[in-house]
Amino acid sequence: MIIAAALCPSPPLLVRELTGADPVVADLRDACAAAVAALVAARPDVIVIVGPGPDTTEWPADGRLNIAAFGGRPAQPAGGAPLPKPVPLAVGLGGYLLDQAAYTGPRRLHSVSEDDQPADCLRLGKEIGDTAGRTGLLVMADGSARRGPRAPGHYDERAEAFDAGVERALRAGDLRRLAAIDPVLARELLATGRPAWQVLAGAIRGTKLRKDVMYTGDPFGVMYVVRFFYVLSELRDRR
Amino acid sequence: MISADTWRHEVAREVCAAGADLLNDTWGGWDRRLAGVAAEHGAGLVCAHAGGLAPRTRPFRVAYDDVLADVLHRTLAQASRAARIGVDPSRILIDPAHDFGKNTWHSLEVTRRLDEMVATGWPVLVSLSNKDFIGETLGVPPEGRLTGTLAATAICAWQGARVFRVHQVKETREVLATVSAIRGEVPPARAVRGLA
Repeated sequence: MIIAAALCPSPPLLVRELTGADPVVADLRDACAAAVAALVAARPDVIVIVGPGPDTTEWPADGRLNIAAFGGRPAQPAGGAPLPKPVPLAVGLGGYLLDQAAYTGPRRLHSVSEDDQPADCLRLGKEIGDTAGRTGLLVMADGSARRGPRAPGHYDERAEAFDAGVERALRAGDLRRLAAIDPVLARELLATGRPAWQVLAGAIRGTKLRKDVMYTGDPFGVMYVVRFFYVLSELRDRR
Repeated sequence: MISADTWRHEVAREVCAAGADLLNDTWGGWDRRLAGVAAEHGAGLVCAHAGGLAPRTRPFRVAYDDVLADVLHRTLAQASRAARIGVDPSRILIDPAHDFGKNTWHSLEVTRRLDEMVATGWPVLVSLSNKDFIGETLGVPPEGRLTGTLAATAICAWQGARVFRVHQVKETREVLATVSAIRGEVPPARAVRGLA
């Protein structure tokens, strides 16, 4: 049973050292830290991280982001221990946020492929949601990277309406609407979070939620949203 | 000597017919027919690294296990293929292509380790003028990047880069002359200080 979920974006610049002397996105980092702190405070038995990746697969729980691949200093494990296994960016950043929050409880790491159809993502979400015990979900997902002339994917006039639709569904707590996002359009708009949103939709579909809005913005032409959802009651009849 | 920036073989054919001596393909050999045009016309070819990025796209969360290993792998593959299909090997250059398919940390590392490219024996070209990695390093807009450009130019020259594609010619020429004099490769223009 999902008891709470945090939703964060997955730009490498969440890692403080990667933006150099200037913190650049202190507000975004604070928002992510607050969302993850709320998730940890909900006292889950396990936290499941879900983020987009090249394949749909589960990664070892000790897997970590390879910050050196983005130009950061290579991790130096204490006492000559072997380096942790590198995991995809979004999944690794989720683990990074849990580490920053000093969370040491059980965690599971799932990547979900851009090639997966909405039904596949919903099914994976339902599997995660149906697991016994109190499960916390940390979903790492970004909106379009084509919001404006300086955006990584250049400007696409459809990006704003697309992201606004996602934002409305999140604000309303009507996560079922995320299930209807068109994978083809999402891919065209470089909205890499699509499969992860749909895992979220499958995991806590049909429930009453408390919704906390922590951040909405696109400082570099990529849509970032940070949210926390606390599940108030399960409406199992909708399942 | 005329160099033309293009990644398209159709454009390459036109500029070679009009007298271009060198094809500067910054997009890493995306158009597989470009090298053939260089061979056909006896032109030189720049084999650059763009990390496999499609032409005119921007780096988005790019990651490398070892950025210089990827640079070497991709540029050397292009260089040997170009030689194999008939480009004069003495006219082939390799270029790490700062900023292309790279974040600032990647471009800084490529600069720091440029000697590894030089060690391959292929002549190394760098194109540094006013690039974003300079801008991000110093926190300055494009019009404020000359000093940083020249510092990077000196570091690359010291490590053995042979060709520099530049916006600010006079300033670069002075940097290169200074580096060459420090290395003992050319004498000063005029030396009388303490010698009279």
